[in-house]
Amino acid sequence: MYCFLRLSVLLVGLIFSASSYAANAVQPLTTADDLGPKVEQPIEFPHDRHAGDAAKGGMQINCMYCHTYARRSIVAGIPPLQKCIGCHQSIESVRETPRIKKLFEYWEAKKAVPWKKVHDLPDFVRFNHERHIQRFVFAQNKPVQEACGYCHGDVKTMTVARRQKPLSMGWCVSCHQKDHPVDATSTKTTHGPNDCWQCHK
Amino acid sequence: MIENSFNRRAFLKVLGWGGATVALSGCGNTSVEDGKEFVTSYVQTADYIIPSIGTYFNSTCAQCDAGCGIMGRVREGRVLKLEGNPKSSINNGKMCGLGQAGVQAHYNPDRIREPLLRNGDKGEAITWEKALGLINEKVGGVGAENIAFLTGGVSGHVKVLLKNYLDALGSGHHYVYEAVAPSIMRAANKRAYGVEMPRLRLDKAKVILSFGADFLGSWISPVHFSQQYARFRKADNGERGVLVQVESKMTLTGANADRWLAIRPGTEGILALGLINALAAAGLSVPGDVAAVVKEYTTDRVSKDTGVSVEHIGKLAALLKGRSPSLIIAGSAAEGYAHGSQNAAAIALLNQVLGNVGKTVEGSFSMPFPQMTPSAGSRQALQVLNDNMLQDKVKVLFSYGANPVFTAPASMKLKESLKKVPFKVAFAHYMDETAVEADLVLPLNSALEDWGTVMPEYIAEGAQLNIRQPLMEKLHPGTLGMGDMLLALLKQRRPDEYKGYEDFYSYLRNAMVSNKGALGGANADDDTFWEAALSHGMVKLAGSPVNISSHISANGLVVPAPFVEDSAYPLHLIPAVSASLRDGRNANEPWLQESPDPLTTIVWDSWVEMHPKTAAKLGIVEGDIVEVASKSGSIKAQVYVFTGIHPDVISVPLGYGHEAMGRYAKGVGVNAFKILDPVFDKETGELAMHETRVKVSKAGQRVIIVKDEGPAGGNQMGRKIAVRMSSDKVNLSKEV
Repeated sequence: MYCFLRLSVLLVGLIFSASSYAANAVQPLTTADDLGPKVEQPIEFPHDRHAGDAAKGGMQINCMYCHTYARRSIVAGIPPLQKCIGCHQSIESVRETPRIKKLFEYWEAKKAVPWKKVHDLPDFVRFNHERHIQRFVFAQNKPVQEACGYCHGDVKTMTVARRQKPLSMGWCVSCHQKDHPVDATSTKTTHGPNDCWQCHK
Repeated sequence: MIENSFNRRAFLKVLGWGGATVALSGCGNTSVEDGKEFVTSYVQTADYIIPSIGTYFNSTCAQCDAGCGIMGRVREGRVLKLEGNPKSSINNGKMCGLGQAGVQAHYNPDRIREPLLRNGDKGEAITWEKALGLINEKVGGVGAENIAFLTGGVSGHVKVLLKNYLDALGSGHHYVYEAVAPSIMRAANKRAYGVEMPRLRLDKAKVILSFGADFLGSWISPVHFSQQYARFRKADNGERGVLVQVESKMTLTGANADRWLAIRPGTEGILALGLINALAAAGLSVPGDVAAVVKEYTTDRVSKDTGVSVEHIGKLAALLKGRSPSLIIAGSAAEGYAHGSQNAAAIALLNQVLGNVGKTVEGSFSMPFPQMTPSAGSRQALQVLNDNMLQDKVKVLFSYGANPVFTAPASMKLKESLKKVPFKVAFAHYMDETAVEADLVLPLNSALEDWGTVMPEYIAEGAQLNIRQPLMEKLHPGTLGMGDMLLALLKQRRPDEYKGYEDFYSYLRNAMVSNKGALGGANADDDTFWEAALSHGMVKLAGSPVNISSHISANGLVVPAPFVEDSAYPLHLIPAVSASLRDGRNANEPWLQESPDPLTTIVWDSWVEMHPKTAAKLGIVEGDIVEVASKSGSIKAQVYVFTGIHPDVISVPLGYGHEAMGRYAKGVGVNAFKILDPVFDKETGELAMHETRVKVSKAGQRVIIVKDEGPAGGNQMGRKIAVRMSSDKVNLSKEV
């Protein structure tokens, strides 16, 4: 009697869990290899062409040239359309390619490109880009692509960005537990903050 | 047995595991929206716009008529929070709760989103083109004398355009109606001091004697007065000012007073004259004709008439004599009677006799651009309009910024009068009681998405033209600003004059820039001047000072004897103007409904305030539903027993009891405007708001009042947290 009851309650719970999982998650949030879902963007933006190595046909543009808010704000942000146009209006060679034509269509209609989020965190987590960029890029002189890559992976090899890391709490903590040098010249090290309220506030 | 083998603990344990599994899979990461949510992206931005960091833009508050400057925090293109604009001389960066709720007027779900044309009982959405064409057709089809425009207080460029439109139509019928307006005060001040709105210097006074002026709560410009009050209480020289409040129903200001005196309703003028007499007896020099008028107001008689004890009158006179300058303020509570003007005149006379004129009562500044100065609203305007409607003189009626169907007393029968008007246009934010009656409803932009200028009626120093500018894009593409609509209507009438202006913004910019010399921008180029005006949220003007007259005269001053008791209607009704709801125009903002009344702490409902003695006499306890009946109607509401009210008086707050307007306002409380008797001030013709006599009877039910007040005020469980003392035990001379 006891066992049956216990089993039945557990079973109901499991059925609930399975069904709600199926209903909510059309695409698994994190696959076995930690990749995020493939995100379809209005324009298939080639990160490799803009930020990739020169040897591979990339322009080696600094991440922060476009994602200019990363060092100033908690979010990295998407550059305003005027930034894309600012360069592309004088790059005649690709002016007639489908993606750039589409870009100029948005510009002429004065409509913002409806980019989708690729990296999102739950609403109860507060991640601050500014702190990380100031720390790694400006205090420790780490290369920008390396610093961004800690969380975003090797974006310069991708076209449309796709999440590479789990961005789970355990994954964040695994890095925060490591000792990092305080700045570029110091031998003093410290680890990242591990107070709950640093992220959950 | 189940109880033995599967006990509570085991059940909870298993349930817990089951629940945890559900939680993990069901709600674990569902707030993560990779690939679903859009990133905020712009086409073009200024360098200072950074996602997640707020930018502040200055504008002007529209929640009441005080005209405080506000700064809106804007993030990712949305206005999130309002603060006071530090540059505004009215509020100096401060703000009130009513103003804070301005974002709820903007994001309100009940806003009208497209023009609606009456089709039977329903409103049918139509295009702007059709709506404006319809107006053109209707105003063209009637004589100019049959067109009437009813508005609340208007000022600035919208007022200019409105006047031009009426001129273009050939109609001069502009009725400025304000349900809760200091119109008796304006007239009394004009007579006593020569200016309608003298500047009051609370900060310079050593004693303030206020006859029912709720200057900290809802009177004229409360945020401004609150700051002056702070300096009055903590003056630079360390001398703390003394506030004495005389009124029949305690207001927020009364609750802050050192001495609160309950006075028999309507006898404020008698007390003022009695004080002059007592001061004269104490050696204050009083002109002969004044002394002659006041000599019959002996302290004994005044005490008997007003219910204020001889001892308190003596103390008050000694206080006024000993500490100068003082400031005597007449508020709406003293002015809301058939003899309201006389009360105000008697109170002004006390100010003059005490020599406060020129010290704490200062002249105002005349505004340049008289066409933009605020039009003073009155209740009388509605009366006149109503009479004209009854005589079929109105064929097309426009209504903007006023909700007369809600605020008019039932005795006016305004709804029936409106039925006689063939075509009624309402410019409205919500489907309020007036919009519901209209044939064509035109949706307005919210104040946070509109262009305009506002010239406040009461300004502390100099003169100032406030700018109202959009803090964000329009929420609903189908709404329009009042200025835009007037411009479109003017284009129908005077196309040559107005065709150059694409929208109200271009009109406004042009009007401001072409007058930049007079607006303090003589040396700046057009763009610099305009950008600076928008950035500051205002333009300071060089007004010329208007001197105040200090001529003392008691000529023609007669204050009638106190009321005779009416045995059928034994109680006086005071319709209270609360700090947040005022005349009810903001009742659909839930923050205002849920913020507790400062004195009773009641939320989300009306109440009948009643003195414990009166309640005991009628066998009423807190929460009893009573019927309050006047000669003009009756309402039912819960009783709140409260010592801060005269035993002959009950009070019901205004602004509640909407029959339309929106989900937060409709059906909450009862409308006290409806049962006001049609009694008018004898000199100005204004509705005497405090003249209504009522009787109270139990309606049978009893409810638990929803309020914030906890046991700390009443039952402190033997702990003396807040020590209570009845007011006659307080020794004022010791306090001062």
